[in-house]
Amino acid sequence: MCNIQDDISIHMEELYHLRQKNLETIFHPKSVAIVGTNKVKGTVPHDILDSILKADFTGIVYPVSPRETSIKGIKAYKYVVDIPDEVDLAILVFPSSVNHMALEQCGQKGIKSVIIISAGYKEVGAAGLAKEKQLIEIARKYDMSFIGPNCLGVINTAPETLLNASFAREMPEKGNIGFLSQSGALCTAVLDYARAKHIGFSKFISFGNKADISEIDLLYYLMKDDETKVILMYLEEISDGKALMKAARDVIEQSGKPILIIKSGRTNEGASAAASHTGSLTGKDEICGAAFEQAGIIRCDNIEEMFNKAIAFAYQPAPATEKVAIITNAGGPGVLTTDAAISRGLKLAKFSEETTQILKKALPATANINNPVDVIGDARSDRYLAAIQAAFDDPDVAGVFVILTPQSMTDIETIARDVTEIAKGQTKPIYASFMGEKDVAVGIDLLQQHKIPHYILPESMCSAYQAVFHFNKNIKLKVHRLPEIKGIEKEKASKLMDKALSNGRSYIPEVETIEILQSYGLPVPRGRLATSADDAVAVAEEIGYPVVLKVVSDDIIHKSEVKGVELNLDSAGAVKDAWKRIHENVKASMPEASISGLYVIRMIKGSEEIILGIKRDPSFGPVLLFGLGGIFVEVFKDVSFGVAPLSREVAVGMIEQTRAWEILKGLRGRNPRDMDSIVDAMLRLGRLAEDFPEIEELDINPLFVLDQGKGSVIGDARMIVTSTK
Amino acid sequence: MDKNEILTRVKGVVSAVLKTDSSEITDDANFVFDLGADSMQSVELVAGFEEEFDIEMDQDRALEVQSIDDAVNFIAEYV
Repeated sequence: MCNIQDDISIHMEELYHLRQKNLETIFHPKSVAIVGTNKVKGTVPHDILDSILKADFTGIVYPVSPRETSIKGIKAYKYVVDIPDEVDLAILVFPSSVNHMALEQCGQKGIKSVIIISAGYKEVGAAGLAKEKQLIEIARKYDMSFIGPNCLGVINTAPETLLNASFAREMPEKGNIGFLSQSGALCTAVLDYARAKHIGFSKFISFGNKADISEIDLLYYLMKDDETKVILMYLEEISDGKALMKAARDVIEQSGKPILIIKSGRTNEGASAAASHTGSLTGKDEICGAAFEQAGIIRCDNIEEMFNKAIAFAYQPAPATEKVAIITNAGGPGVLTTDAAISRGLKLAKFSEETTQILKKALPATANINNPVDVIGDARSDRYLAAIQAAFDDPDVAGVFVILTPQSMTDIETIARDVTEIAKGQTKPIYASFMGEKDVAVGIDLLQQHKIPHYILPESMCSAYQAVFHFNKNIKLKVHRLPEIKGIEKEKASKLMDKALSNGRSYIPEVETIEILQSYGLPVPRGRLATSADDAVAVAEEIGYPVVLKVVSDDIIHKSEVKGVELNLDSAGAVKDAWKRIHENVKASMPEASISGLYVIRMIKGSEEIILGIKRDPSFGPVLLFGLGGIFVEVFKDVSFGVAPLSREVAVGMIEQTRAWEILKGLRGRNPRDMDSIVDAMLRLGRLAEDFPEIEELDINPLFVLDQGKGSVIGDARMIVTSTK
Repeated sequence: MDKNEILTRVKGVVSAVLKTDSSEITDDANFVFDLGADSMQSVELVAGFEEEFDIEMDQDRALEVQSIDDAVNFIAEYV
C-alpha cells in the first residue's frame, strides 16, 4: 500500500517524464500554432509569428486569430480547434484574461506542448497567481506541459528545426551553448551581446514564471541534448534548491556538461538580528554560493564572466594540466598574463630542450625563448606561428595563450587568421588576448568567428582556463556518496526533542541540546546538571577537576552576558564560591530569570576552538556551518557552509576553505588537531538536521578540538526550534 | 428595458466598434478570444456602451466585462 509521500513521488516522477516528452515537441515541433496572433507590427502577437517565419522554420505554421482570415499570406484560423491537421506546439500570445480559454482548446485539440508568452500572471499579484493556477489545472487535465507564462519564448537553432518562437530581434547563430533564463528582457540583451561576439546557441529558453516546466526540467532536457555542450542559466529565485542541486549533479555526473549560473539578488536585506551565531553568520547568498559549489555549479557574477568561461568550455578542448605557454609580442602584457595565471593557480610550462632549440632558431636573438615567450614587437605572423607550434608540441604545455598588442608592423588580421588555422585539430586549447580595441577589432572578430576564445583582459583569459581545468579535474569526475554513520539513536533523540518542545519553547537550553546531540553520537562533555552547591561539588568529584559551572535557564540565551559562567574551578571550595557568585550575578542582571540549576562539566585545556552550526534555509533546507570558534566568531567570520546531508569530501572541503584549516593542521610548531573528529561531528550534525526539520538553528560553540587522535568535545550548545510537531 | 433589447443593442455597439457583422456575434462571445478585440478596443467598447445606454459605468468593473452576456448583465444593473 502506498502512503501519501509515495503517491507524491510517483506523481512527480510521472510529471517529470511527461515534461521531458513534451519538451521534445517544444524544441522539435513539426507544426506550430500561434494562438492569438494579429497583423499589428511591433506587438508581441505579431512579432512572434514574424520571428518564426523569418527563421525559416522547417515545419508548418498555423496562425490562429479571431479576426483575421489570413496573415502574411498564410491562412489563419479563428480557433485552434478549427485547424484540420495535427498541431505539435501551440504558442499562446493572447492577453492573460483569455489564455485559459485558448489553453483549454489546445487541450481539446490534443496539443501537448505549449509556450505561454503573455504576462499578467504571478508577477502582478494574487489575481495573476489565480490565473496561473488555472493554467496549471488545465494543463494537468489534458497532460499538457507549458513553458512560461511571462517569457520571451524558445529558440532552437538545429538546422532540421530552425525554430525562433520568441520575440527576440534575430535568430542567434548555431552553437553548442544552451541558455536558460528566468528573465525575458535579459535574454534579448544576451542575444545582442552574443551576436556581436559570434557566440552561438543550441537552445535558448526564457522560462519566465516557470509555472509548469521549470529550470530543473530544462536542465535534465539539456543534459540529454546532443547539440548542447555547455549549460548557462540566469536565475532570480530558486524555488527548490535541493532539486536544483540534485539536477546539477546528475547533469555533471551523467553528461560531463558544465553548468554556469548567474544568481541575482546577492544582497541580503533580510538579514536580521539572530539569536544564534550561526543565524547571524549565515546569509542567503553565502548559502546559495556554498550549495552551488557543492553541486559543482560554476557561479558567475555577470554576463561577461559567464560568457568568458562558457566559450572556453564550448570552443576548445579541456586542458590536461594547469601548465600554460604564453606567446606575446610585448614584455609588459606577458608579465601581466604571467601574474594573472599564477595568481589563479596556473603554472608556466617548462619547455623541453627541443622546444628551446626550435624557438632559438625561429626567433631573433633578442627574443625571450623561455616561457613567457616574447616574439618581440616587430613580430609578424611567422614568428607567432613558429612559437605557437613549438608550444603545442612541447609535452609540458597543456594550453597556449596568445597575447598581441597592435604595433605599427603587427599584421593583426594575418596573425588572427593564422592562429585560427594552427588551432585546427589540436588537442590542447588555445586562447587569445588581442589587447586594445579599435585596431585589433578586425583580428578579434576573426578569432571569434572561428571559435578561438578571445579575452580583452589576460585576467579573464586565465580565469576561464582555470575554470575549465578545475571543472574537468576536480568536479566532473568526483562522485559524492553519503557515508554510513554508526551510533545514531534517532528514536531516543526524537523522544528528547518531544520533551524539549513540550512546553512550547523555541529556545532549547544547553543541557537538553547536549542530550539530543549525544544521542547522535556527537562528543559531549563529561558532566551533568547540578541543583545545589553540594550536588555541583559531587559532580565535580565524579568527573574530576578542573570544572566549569554554567547557569541553566530557559530565560537566558547568552550566559556570559549575565556572568553566568565560571571557568577553571579546581576545588570543592572554588565550586561552592562559584555557585554563589553565579546566582548573585544572574539575580543582579536578570532578576526575573528562573534558574533550573548549574551545568557542571569538565574543563578542557590545550585545544583549538571551532564553531559548528545548523541553519535552515527555505530553499536549500538544513545548512551546516563550520568556522573558527570562540567569542570573536562574528568578527572574523572565518566560516564555510555546506548543504546537509554532507558527504565526507564536502565536510573536508568546508574545513579546508577556511583559515582555521592552517591553524588546525598545526601552525608554527603547534600540534596538529584531530581533524577526523571534526568531520565526524559535521556528518552527524548534518544527519541530525535532516532528521529533525524542527531544528531552525543550532550552535555548537565552541567545539574543543584536541590533538590528533584525541577527539573533540562540545563546549557549549544551544538550539532554536520551530514547533512543527 | 428587458434583456433581449439590451442584448440587441450591445451586439450593435460591438459590431460597430469591432467592425464585425452583428449576425456573427454569439450571445456568449468573448470580446478578445472570439471577436479579437485588442486592449484599445476593449476601452472603446465600454465607452460605446455608456453612450448607447446613456449610463456611466464603474471603470474598473466595466473592464472586467469580457463577453456579450457579461455586458448584458452588467448594463442591466444600470438601466
